[in-house]
Amino acid sequence: MNSFVRLLYRDLKAGIWSTKSMIAMQLVSPLLYIFVAGFAYSSFISSTTIGGRTVSYVLFLAPGIIVMQIMFAASIAGAMLWIDKRLAMFTQILMGPFSRWQYILSKVVSIMLQGMLNAFLAFLIASPLLAGLSVSPLGLIYIIGSLVLGSLFFGSLTLAISVYVKSNESFNAILNVMLSPLMFLSSVFYNLQNTQIPLVIRDLSLANPLTYATDMLRAGLLKDYTPYLFLEIAVLAIESLSVFVISTIAFRRVKA
Amino acid sequence: MAEYCVETTELTKNYGKLVAVDHVSFKVRNGEIFGFLGPNGAGKTTTIKMLTTLLKPASGSALVLGFDVASEGARIRPRIGVVQQPLSYEMAVNVEENLNLYGFLWGVPKKERVERIELLLDKFGLKDVRKTKPQELSMGQQRRVQVAREFMHDCELMFLDEPTIGLDPQARRVTLDFVREKVENGTTVFFTTHIMEEAEYICDRIAIINKGQILALDTIDTVKRKFGGLSVIHLRVDNSKELINLKLEKLRGVERIVYPQPEDEFLKVYVKNANQVLSQIIDIVTSSGLHVEELEVKEPSLDDVFIQLTNSKEVGPNE
Repeated sequence: MNSFVRLLYRDLKAGIWSTKSMIAMQLVSPLLYIFVAGFAYSSFISSTTIGGRTVSYVLFLAPGIIVMQIMFAASIAGAMLWIDKRLAMFTQILMGPFSRWQYILSKVVSIMLQGMLNAFLAFLIASPLLAGLSVSPLGLIYIIGSLVLGSLFFGSLTLAISVYVKSNESFNAILNVMLSPLMFLSSVFYNLQNTQIPLVIRDLSLANPLTYATDMLRAGLLKDYTPYLFLEIAVLAIESLSVFVISTIAFRRVKA
Repeated sequence: MAEYCVETTELTKNYGKLVAVDHVSFKVRNGEIFGFLGPNGAGKTTTIKMLTTLLKPASGSALVLGFDVASEGARIRPRIGVVQQPLSYEMAVNVEENLNLYGFLWGVPKKERVERIELLLDKFGLKDVRKTKPQELSMGQQRRVQVAREFMHDCELMFLDEPTIGLDPQARRVTLDFVREKVENGTTVFFTTHIMEEAEYICDRIAIINKGQILALDTIDTVKRKFGGLSVIHLRVDNSKELINLKLEKLRGVERIVYPQPEDEFLKVYVKNANQVLSQIIDIVTSSGLHVEELEVKEPSLDDVFIQLTNSKEVGPNE
């Protein structure tokens, strides 16, 4: 079996599976966002128009919450590198029949898989709302593309941060400080096409990959095909690949 | 197959201005246990990190299994095993799964993994804690898991960087015996320690390193002879007053003699090599009609050699 596949199995078995209680806890948040906050906000934002269609606010919110799960999953999985360094597994693996390249690739792919697993579970949670929707083959490509690119971006980002930050405490603090602006400066909660949104918030949201991953998922689920969709996909792909390259380069410098 | 498993030439590594390993040259023969002894911070771990391709040498060269550590790491790593000095294990899975997962990482087939796990759990006294996660174990047990894990896969050359730290004497003996067993089956071992008793128990040849430089390199007996000072022959006879007439100090190889005193009835003969002189002394003593009541040869210990060499500022041979 290929060395990379063996490393990936190890990450899934010893890294991600060990955080299963955390994954379970993370699933509480989509429940709260969709079924508590979503329905509560619906009392004063009854509906919104996207792609020429009027949809309920809860239905508008659900795709954003699903994409957000990827971000949360990546933040936990990024800590895997810390655990490996603390328990000397990082050096142990690098002294074995593996390369640094295989090590980082296994980390990124396992983070992506965890992100997609979380997103899938969030889909299940939101399924009562999504039940009546029909998804076209093109829509399915958008959905999968959104999850893959979103996972790649956030997985690579957390890995790059874990390379530069000196302690696990700092790593967690940075993620906590970073995740809230990413959540609120995006199209997860608001329809950025709404002209009443302050321009600053809209501009900042347009720099946020979470916006594009969310828009892509909405396009797949709700047929929200805006004229900018392809541009958004291109921006998300470039951002994700750029962060992946940065994290790979950064990782090469980690001292053994 | 080449005669040497490891060959270093003027191997050097520095961290900024600190020279951790300073122009070190040595060879490790196939199938031997090579002890790399030195006090803390002597350069042992840095040397291992270079030989296991984790660190690139600043200058000099090193061949491991015939391959250059700087440019052919990918050809070396699948053929070596390493027990690092820091504790290392998978936190999330139990002891048995730690062994299984490590074997899987090395591509050991499942059937073989199952057999090895049972053998190693038994050998290292881990059967009772097989379902326990390592972080719930004592440090000694964690170390046993770490050492046992490395035997899940076969290797031609094993690096053991102070593998017995934290082990009790029984576990230490089990570990050393198991290492020796592996060597009998063809594995070469590069063993670092600062416990001389361990080195004497297990090593075929040793190098003593301090401040990045090798001070002595040879078999333990030869190192002791070269650097350990004099052996002392302690002899008690029935009529000690007669000893002074035997003129033992004139024997070749005798450096000094202390004749029996009222408070110490032993004759002490200081010699460079006890084997060369001992039989002559006994012959002279017995032929003069004296009866040997007690005889003991006290060789210099490896501890003495180690302390003497590592406390000395002078640097000895860098072979």
